[in-house]
Amino acid sequence: MTARTTHHPPAPDSVAGTRTRPSGRRKRAEGFALTAGSAVGALLWISPLILLVISALRPLSDFLSNGPVSWPQEITLANFPEAWEAGQFGTAYLNSTILLLVKVPLGVFVASLLAYALSKLVMPFRNVILFTVVLGMTVPIYIAIVPLFTMLRGVGMTDSILGIIPPYIAFGLPLQVLILQSFFRRVPGELLEAARIDGAGDVRIFFRIVVPLSVPALVTVAILDGVATWNELFLALSLLSSESRRTIPLGLLNFQGQFATNYTGLAAGILIAVIPILVLYMVLQKYIVGGLTAGATKG
Amino acid sequence: MSAHTLDRTAARSTRRRTDQPGRARPGLLPLAFAAPALVLYLGFLVWPALQALWISLTDWDGLSDQQNFVGLDNYLALFDDKVVGIAAVNNVLWSIVTIVLPMTLGLLFAVVLNRKSRTSPIFRTIFYAPAVLPLVSIASIWAWLYDPSDGAINTVLRTIGLSGLEQSWLGQDSTALWSVMIPAVWVRTGFPMLLYLAALQSIPDELYEAASMDGANRRKQFTRITFPSLRDTHYIVLALSLIESFKVFDLVYAMTYGGPGYSTQVMGTWMYANVFQYFNAGYGTAIAVVITVVAVAAGIPYVRSQVKSS
Repeated sequence: MTARTTHHPPAPDSVAGTRTRPSGRRKRAEGFALTAGSAVGALLWISPLILLVISALRPLSDFLSNGPVSWPQEITLANFPEAWEAGQFGTAYLNSTILLLVKVPLGVFVASLLAYALSKLVMPFRNVILFTVVLGMTVPIYIAIVPLFTMLRGVGMTDSILGIIPPYIAFGLPLQVLILQSFFRRVPGELLEAARIDGAGDVRIFFRIVVPLSVPALVTVAILDGVATWNELFLALSLLSSESRRTIPLGLLNFQGQFATNYTGLAAGILIAVIPILVLYMVLQKYIVGGLTAGATKG
Repeated sequence: MSAHTLDRTAARSTRRRTDQPGRARPGLLPLAFAAPALVLYLGFLVWPALQALWISLTDWDGLSDQQNFVGLDNYLALFDDKVVGIAAVNNVLWSIVTIVLPMTLGLLFAVVLNRKSRTSPIFRTIFYAPAVLPLVSIASIWAWLYDPSDGAINTVLRTIGLSGLEQSWLGQDSTALWSVMIPAVWVRTGFPMLLYLAALQSIPDELYEAASMDGANRRKQFTRITFPSLRDTHYIVLALSLIESFKVFDLVYAMTYGGPGYSTQVMGTWMYANVFQYFNAGYGTAIAVVITVVAVAAGIPYVRSQVKSS
């Protein structure tokens, strides 16, 4: 995947070769073909989720007699309460929500403080700190698991939603600091200088100027962090042991084992676990898409 | 650091302030801003990672008080462990497949969707959707599709008269790893697609107009304009995917638990099994150290480029 591949002589293209500017009609026909092709592709791409929804809405007997790829003869919602009970999704939702509500604001807040210091304040060893923090992106979480387990056990915080929060914040920081500092950097220095001349201190400047101007970036970072936290398995699996501490991924993992042959109940359980994220994704996708592109392309 | 050296550093920086308008007065305040994040980062990422280096040199079981220094024994034992061999090969295969296929598909989707059209954003939403779901749910969905008797995949094969191709997808050595990679590709394609789309949109139309005036056909336009313009994106996608691929755990753990046999073990799952199932914390940590060293080394160029450009 280097630039060199681009120097291959292009093969003769008999279709497009003579025609460099498609006529209006041709263009429209082509646009239609592309749309139709994309539609088929998108339908295939999303078909696992479509099958899942259809199966969750039919009785098991209907599923077994007609097969998974068929239109249901009978529609029912009964799979959902059954799956909700068996999977103890109430507990899982509660735990994941607490985790999210504490971890994400706290993590984004401390990340933005550090990003501000790195981008707008005179910070000793700035480059070393930035490099060291961002390098954390490359560290797989499982290197830290045994020491973390020991450390948290030492203070009686294994199997605790609160105990899992500090490592979550630590492992979320690299990406957040990278995105936020690059965003803060684009806040005009003149603005800060003017505020300083008016007698505002750094704390005031941070809260009154930098934060309000960076709301889109902060929201994006919070959403990305929220998705990652909500979905995290490894640390939760290693540190949380009792049933009452299960997060959504742990609850689903356990549920999947129990319901292995109840195909429609399994489908309902999976949907229970993913529907809120899918809905939020559709509502917030502007931020997700924008943030991913900005975070990855701008340093 | 003493307050004295701090002042000196700060004083030096003050002189540079003219070319950095808006930078604050030097002082202890920057450290106060940085402290909470740095304490958490050092305490819960850097320090545990360093402790892991020590643990990997012991025979610790992870529970008892007994922790004997065994030198490099754990690392030497890696060479005799046939599962580590399987896992290393699987990790390499995993990286190749879950980087190359998503990049290729992502580029394809991006090129097709890069039009001013009302439908494009809808398709973009659909293609990216799997990426926001928990990997455990992705694993559940695909295990459900792969079910040998009542799964959708075998049912479709039967229906279209290809019952000869029916497999116990996750239940046999020959297909299990590939069957876990397919959902990974499904999840990973959205990200390169988004980055490629953003990059495509920043290529000026004039380039294509000029090229087409000069008689360049579409293929030539793609190979001479589009593909080279995406060079930075290729690099970023490749680097981020590589970093990500070393972390593989969730899908394998939730779909096959490393089985059947050891056929789908990767370093992450084998490390987990050693620590939490066989109580070989020292040995499991040595596995983690090896893969972390490789992952960090592979990630350094990317991190440097990101830090330098800022």
